[in-house]
Amino acid sequence: MDQPKIVLSLMFFTMAFAFYGMTALLYIINWVFRKRWIGQTATAMAIISAFTMLMMLIARAGESGHAPFSNLYESMALFVWALTVGYLVLEFRYKLKTLGAFVMTIAFLSVISASMLPYKFKSVAPLNPALQNKWKWMVNLFSKVGLENYAIGWLDFHVFATFIGYAAFAIAFGISIMFLLKLRNEEHGNSGLFSRLPESKLLDEISYRAIAWGFPFLGVGIVSGAVWANYAWGTYWSWDPKETWSLITWFVYAAYLHARVTRGWKGKRCAWLSILGFLAVMFLYWGVSFILPGLHAYA
Amino acid sequence: MSKDKEKTVLQKTLRKRIWSFFNSVLLTIGTMLSLALVSIIGTVVEQNKDMETYIQEYGEKWAGYISWAGFNDMFHTWWFSALLGLLVINILVCTIERFPPKWKVLLANKPNFSPTFIDKLQHRKVFTVNADKDATDTILKSFFKKKRYKFLEESAKDGSSAFYAWKGVIGRYGSDFTHISLFVILAGAIIGSVYGYKSFKVITVGSTINMEKRAGFNLRLDKFWIDYYDTGQIRQYNSILTVVEDGKDIVEKQIWVNEPLLYKGIRFYQSSWGTSWNKVDAAEIGFKRKDDEESSTIVRVKWNTKVDIPDSPYAVKVIGYAADFAFDDARKAVFSKSMEADNPAVMVELYKDGEHISSPWLFLKYPGLFSSIPDSDDSLIFEGYRGVLFSGISVNKDPGTNVVWVGSCIMGIGFILAFFIFHKRLYINIKSNGSSTEVKIGGVINKNTMALEKELEVFCDHFEKKQKTHKREF
Ligand code: HEM
Repeated sequence: MDQPKIVLSLMFFTMAFAFYGMTALLYIINWVFRKRWIGQTATAMAIISAFTMLMMLIARAGESGHAPFSNLYESMALFVWALTVGYLVLEFRYKLKTLGAFVMTIAFLSVISASMLPYKFKSVAPLNPALQNKWKWMVNLFSKVGLENYAIGWLDFHVFATFIGYAAFAIAFGISIMFLLKLRNEEHGNSGLFSRLPESKLLDEISYRAIAWGFPFLGVGIVSGAVWANYAWGTYWSWDPKETWSLITWFVYAAYLHARVTRGWKGKRCAWLSILGFLAVMFLYWGVSFILPGLHAYA
Repeated sequence: MSKDKEKTVLQKTLRKRIWSFFNSVLLTIGTMLSLALVSIIGTVVEQNKDMETYIQEYGEKWAGYISWAGFNDMFHTWWFSALLGLLVINILVCTIERFPPKWKVLLANKPNFSPTFIDKLQHRKVFTVNADKDATDTILKSFFKKKRYKFLEESAKDGSSAFYAWKGVIGRYGSDFTHISLFVILAGAIIGSVYGYKSFKVITVGSTINMEKRAGFNLRLDKFWIDYYDTGQIRQYNSILTVVEDGKDIVEKQIWVNEPLLYKGIRFYQSSWGTSWNKVDAAEIGFKRKDDEESSTIVRVKWNTKVDIPDSPYAVKVIGYAADFAFDDARKAVFSKSMEADNPAVMVELYKDGEHISSPWLFLKYPGLFSSIPDSDDSLIFEGYRGVLFSGISVNKDPGTNVVWVGSCIMGIGFILAFFIFHKRLYINIKSNGSSTEVKIGGVINKNTMALEKELEVFCDHFEKKQKTHKREF
């Protein structure tokens, strides 16, 4: 039995590893020394990193013959990529480069943890019967030009939506931490390194916006997972640990939104809820995969 | 009399209290976090295992507590349902309480035209345009048109005009759509659990699933096969099923994991496979002569087909199989203890010179255990077999599924409205100062204040573009 070759994707991953390290470092230096050219280099580096990660995903898809979301390692690459793209959108909108010092550090830590995964979570494997799900209309459409292998289905849709949600929550998490640091700093005379972070009110607002993106996407992820499960297993909901944890996570963020919109919660309490929510995301993503048994092999 | 009155007052306050208890969003937050918390238990304690598993894992005492509290089947306990019920009543009460007033306020659209009102707003801008009032009016209206604002206009006695512009009111209803969708989804789940059913059938090729009583048709398995990757891993299980109604073939369909057959509201899923425990495709039967220890004649016998053994007066036919042979004394019948081929045995009919003389069982693992040919020292030996694959089909009727999907779509609409459409309201005052005109704008948004600030900037830019020379003051 031949192991499929994974040289190209490994090469891109290694490059991305280095680039992400540099990006995080540049953003931190920019935060500390506030040099314009360093900030610009950091942004450029972030774009290059995202591009390299995208190339890694494409190479991986070529090597495995299916969309690169089928194990923990591939999904981490997707997560990091979505996180970076989300961050870059944020940076261009609000022109706040200090966010990068935190968010891109989370991205780099994620790349490190992906690289440390044991081999069995990294290897290229063909899809098992339950994971083969493609939209028929798409297969029909693509087969006219001979590209039917590139059609996608509920699996891809489900994973993609879920990961946009995770990435948004990760951004909200990073910014909530910044918020707490900045708030403490504001209360204690507003000097030093943390005084250079954006105003706490703004941070509070941005992390809320990130959650307002993550929440519907996780919702779509959960529903599309149910649709797919209904095709594959004959039930749309079976209280499997992954499903249950996604609901738990979703409820934590729902509580956040309700507290904010209807009770007028702001600031500290919201930041802690956002951090709690991200702890749930991390357990949903990694904890369930490693600790709890279930139908989901990963992600 | 006064006692009765007291009683009704008491009842009224009690009713009010209960109502306001359910009208609290704090209750919502508490219930959602509690649901999250107890759900964690349901994922940490394995669900629906038998008692021994829990005793092994947690010890006798804790296993007792677990089963007492229902943690072993958490999502079906009364108290989990009660929490969900609490959430439902909570949403219902909150919606009843808040929807009509919200509707009224949003429909009324009674703007505040007083210029001092703008000064009270948190987000506002004031600037002067080097143009007369009519020209400024035109620029303003072009902004409304470009950004698709609806607006009202009112002129005051002192020559100034007030504008009220708004858009995205529909975004306000996002939360209502979302909440209603939760009801629809829940209704779908309840319909499914009341009117639906689920079962699992195992069938071999050629046999049928009998759905006559339940649905008035039968289902025949025509073919079952497994696709493999080059590496040897399983790629897919496939079955070809035919719906038979009133003895006629109606529909034929190939199903696989992820591709069920739907007929008359019932879905048939490919869910497992295996080797049959009571039937073989073919068996290899050896014929051994007493005086010839070395060699035996092996014949391949297909199921239920008579085959002659060469150079002998005998013929055999395989008519029975048990994967895990066992004998039921009470019924005097052979059966298979399990689906595993732990002790495979076949039953053959033996013919001598065309005449049926006996029907012995032959064992793969115990050749020659019983004398297989009566009044002879020659013997028959069960040498090997090729099994029949069976297909495991889940049969599932869930009339609530489509309701759940409708609910999910409503939820999607609710999300788009709630998170991506903002209710923006702009209050604008224009006052002529001779050749120049003063513009004062303030805004309100239901959420995402950054979007409002951006909009106000765009507003200023719009004037800047249309009117090159102007002085801004903040
Ligand atoms: C226990 C029941 C619930 C109650 C009483 C409740 C109540 C409310 C109220 C009063 C609002 C504000 C309405 C407005 O501003 O127009 C709201 C907003 C919202 N609710 Fe609920 N809610 C409940 C459960 C849920 C659940 C389970 C979800 C979904 C998971 C949900 C999703 C939303 C969304 C998406 C919003 C809009 C949030 C925003 O605008 O940022 N609600 N809810």
